[in-house]
Amino acid sequence: MTAVLQRGPAAERGGGRAEAVGDFAEFVRASMPGLLRYGHALTGNPHDSADLVQSVLEKVGSRWAAVQRKGDDPLAYVRRAMANTHISVWRRRRRENLVAEIPDSGAVAPELSRLENEPLWQALRELPPRQRAVVVLRYYENLSEAEIADALGISCGTVKSQSSKAMASLRARLGRD
Amino acid sequence: MGDLDDDLRRLFGDDRLDVHPAPDATDAVLRGAHRRRRRRAATSSAFLVVALVGVGLGATQLRTLSHDDPADELLETATSTSTASTTSLPPSTSTVAAPGSSSRAATPPASSGGATTPPGTGTGKPRTTTPSPPPPPPAEPGRLGALLLGMSEADALATGALIEPSSPADQENRCTAYATRSVPDSDAVVISPAKGIVRITRPSTAKTQRNVGVGSTVAEVKAAYGGATQSGTTVLVPMAASPSWSYVFTTNGTTVTMVHMRLAAHDCPTA
Repeated sequence: MTAVLQRGPAAERGGGRAEAVGDFAEFVRASMPGLLRYGHALTGNPHDSADLVQSVLEKVGSRWAAVQRKGDDPLAYVRRAMANTHISVWRRRRRENLVAEIPDSGAVAPELSRLENEPLWQALRELPPRQRAVVVLRYYENLSEAEIADALGISCGTVKSQSSKAMASLRARLGRD
Repeated sequence: MGDLDDDLRRLFGDDRLDVHPAPDATDAVLRGAHRRRRRRAATSSAFLVVALVGVGLGATQLRTLSHDDPADELLETATSTSTASTTSLPPSTSTVAAPGSSSRAATPPASSGGATTPPGTGTGKPRTTTPSPPPPPPAEPGRLGALLLGMSEADALATGALIEPSSPADQENRCTAYATRSVPDSDAVVISPAKGIVRITRPSTAKTQRNVGVGSTVAEVKAAYGGATQSGTTVLVPMAASPSWSYVFTTNGTTVTMVHMRLAAHDCPTA
């Protein structure tokens, strides 16, 4: 249904598709390093970051015209999508693991990550993904509580509670009670 | 509290968070996005095909009842065989043929005299007239894969069968041409802004419903399609489909070298 609706305006644009594809390629090239870094902060390891960036950009690219028509900043849109995708992927993985005990394919050999020995980094890894996303959006993206709530589609109250839980467990893990 | 805030900001500002993109990362994203778009387009065109088939079946049913369809040769034979053997067939079979034969029966007198014919004489006539009319023109669908004659450029692009970018198909830059996944020629599909797809080049391996294609002889084409007309080295076979279109067989005089499907009401000079 959505696809049908979106084809109407696409029909008016006609040959603009090739231009849009070129435009998207340029966007990907320019935003890739920043997104990978942000994904690294979000997921805790560079490989999951690459997977996350790849899958979100693919989705966005397949609907690039629609994303641009919305008028939002596409980069902000991608970052929001990454935070939400990361949370839902983690949920799905956890469910699979509960059922089948599948070993976590996202695990990285310690030598691959140069941050491994950082206590704060280790403590962050222990956080549930939504709490981690709230922390990343606040300290990496410097978003306000309202902006975080909007980005993750949750209430301001939830942002506050997730944030304080996250900070409490980070402090506990770092022995800073 | 303040310490942890600062530590988090410092950590997230750390260079060690940098991840260097793989050399082909951008290409991989573009390929993936293209794949997703195609998959989505395929799903929606599958719906379209189902809908069209539904409409087509409905239309066939209607035509069968109103008997003005020139396409249904199968019905023609079915009717004549069943009428011929009516006496020996069980009642159930003759009821199948009944709507067709009775409605057909009324036609010839109506066209010749216009008077209402009594059922008795009406049923007598078609037995003699049925074999005599020439076979009706074929009505193969104006379709190649997902591409349909008359389809708009956007819909055609959405099928994923076209290869971008397009090139101008005429001097005025009005119609556009595309290569397709099955035919590499840059003008494999010609699209008019007003009429949609006006011409489709068939792959050299494709055969028509009557099993002719590139490599067939002119004689074979004419044998397969009674209504074929030749002008120079081109053999035209009109289809009684809606919208009407023709096969355009380009030949070297004896053998077919290229097959186009061309919309009858086309408005591109190159089509």
